[in-house]
Amino acid sequence: MTALLIGINTFREATRDRVLAGVVAAGVVLLALTQVASPLALGEGRRLTVDLGLSAVSVLGLLVVLLVGTSLVAREIERRTIYNLLSRPIARAGYLVGKWAGLSAALWVVALLLGVALLGLLELRGFTGHGAAVTEAVYLAGLELTVVTALAVLFSALSTPVLSALYTLAFYVVGQWSYDLRGFASRFPEPLSALLGTVANVVPNLPLFNMRALAAAGATTSWSHLGMATAYAAVYAGCVLALAAAAFEKRDFK
Amino acid sequence: MQTSTAARADRQEDVRGGASPGVDRAALAVRAVGLTRRYVHPWTLRVTRALEGLDLEVRRGEVIGLLGPNGAGKTTTLKLLTGLIKPTCGRAWLMGEPIEDIASRRSLGFLPEQPYFYDYLSGEEYLELAARLSGVPGREATRRARRWLGRVGLGERPKLGLRKYSKGMLQRLGLAAALVHEPELLILDEPMSGLDPFGRRDVRDLILEQRARGTTVLFSSHILPDVEMLCDRVAILLRGRLTRTASVDQIVSDGRQAVEIRCAAVGPLEIPPAWHGVLARDDRAGEMVLRLEEEHRLQDLLAWLVRAGVRVHAVTPQRPGLEELFLAAAEADRAAAERTLRRTA
Repeated sequence: MTALLIGINTFREATRDRVLAGVVAAGVVLLALTQVASPLALGEGRRLTVDLGLSAVSVLGLLVVLLVGTSLVAREIERRTIYNLLSRPIARAGYLVGKWAGLSAALWVVALLLGVALLGLLELRGFTGHGAAVTEAVYLAGLELTVVTALAVLFSALSTPVLSALYTLAFYVVGQWSYDLRGFASRFPEPLSALLGTVANVVPNLPLFNMRALAAAGATTSWSHLGMATAYAAVYAGCVLALAAAAFEKRDFK
Repeated sequence: MQTSTAARADRQEDVRGGASPGVDRAALAVRAVGLTRRYVHPWTLRVTRALEGLDLEVRRGEVIGLLGPNGAGKTTTLKLLTGLIKPTCGRAWLMGEPIEDIASRRSLGFLPEQPYFYDYLSGEEYLELAARLSGVPGREATRRARRWLGRVGLGERPKLGLRKYSKGMLQRLGLAAALVHEPELLILDEPMSGLDPFGRRDVRDLILEQRARGTTVLFSSHILPDVEMLCDRVAILLRGRLTRTASVDQIVSDGRQAVEIRCAAVGPLEIPPAWHGVLARDDRAGEMVLRLEEEHRLQDLLAWLVRAGVRVHAVTPQRPGLEELFLAAAEADRAAAERTLRRTA
């Protein structure tokens, strides 16, 4: 219950922050700009619109995580607003879950708004038949942002906003290459191979959430992929939050 | 890893079943045994003792003031009790629940020093959130938020954003947030800090009101006249150690009491040698004021004055204030520390 209350308040905080409104506005401008570049795409205007539109969801969502998510807990500690919360009957783990859930919900709203804008643009341009593919791609982008938000909460609970932004960005970038890392691992001798393999397993498997190329071609993915991605996001975010809660439990607020 | 202090605390807990001999466990709102907090610098490994072996019992319904200079351990004590920092060793209970358990904070209202709030919320939204987080259900939380906002003088503009609040307004809001769920135990860290005289009076009235309804209040303050006015007992902390706990009356009556005797103006009056050092004479317009440093010799002095034909107008005991006594305790502690340092050197 308290996690839900904190989640609602975090959602309120994120949606009242100008960053979120700015990001949605930037997304809409970016979609409009794709139409300027569209004639240069040599007949691939539809593909360009879908690809850039979906990229906007991921990149702008990441921007929100870096600007808001990485200071989510650290700023509360810095400003001492956390004293007013944790001196109430609230479990620290519940507090972190609430923070994560609130920002994740705000990011889902951003993804939804940009997804609807993209579908509206495709409809306006007469590019039909992308509805299902774009919906699936936006859903996967939302899952990706949920996972990255969990990482941001973990680092924010343990570090300063700047450092947690750097750590989160590093995990995001390396996570995008996790397939390549596994490939590299098999070509290197031990112990480098084991090290690369471990890193590939620790960082989030973000290619699992990327179906931009597929959606740009108008193709949908399988239910098993969607189910696997959902289960992976839930397990990965759960593990990260459990780790964050364990570390946060011991933290002092001087 | 538990130290010997913690082990002692646990043994005492086992033997007493959670309270001092003769004290009913259910009658205690706060109990600390050997509560200690030390900080170790990560590079130099130098140990700072923020609080050392605090043994404290606060009975339900009592108002107790925590006194001490800056760095004495007052805020550390309050943060340990409210779960914001973890003890190095020792144990404590709030309303019978161990502080490491979140149940100990169910009946707790806490006002931190210089409180900060979510500036994207309005006063009413903040109090509603505070009430709900402390277990007050939805509609009741809204009702109480409005009531407490009005009670602390902020009810005229409930939708005003907190970023537009002044420092005094934030302090009042913090107090309302600590009280909105009507807790049984109130812990306030410097509640009068940053308030103008009207604000201080309002806070005093609120604390007195809470005392009247049976709430236990533990607060730290630098404003000693307020402590003297509000508290049943005071606990004096100096350099991380509890040096004294006693009722305000007891502390004050333990101090050396002087008596002022106002008499009609007289001509030359020779003070006998027996009174030298304990009696001072001050001739003012139309009267003579004598100050006797030893109250127990008052009868002898009055008898001597009558024999000398002096007309006594008034006899007034000069009770030392808490401030003088606190400063004397702090000075004694500083002198003791210096002596120890010299001996060690």
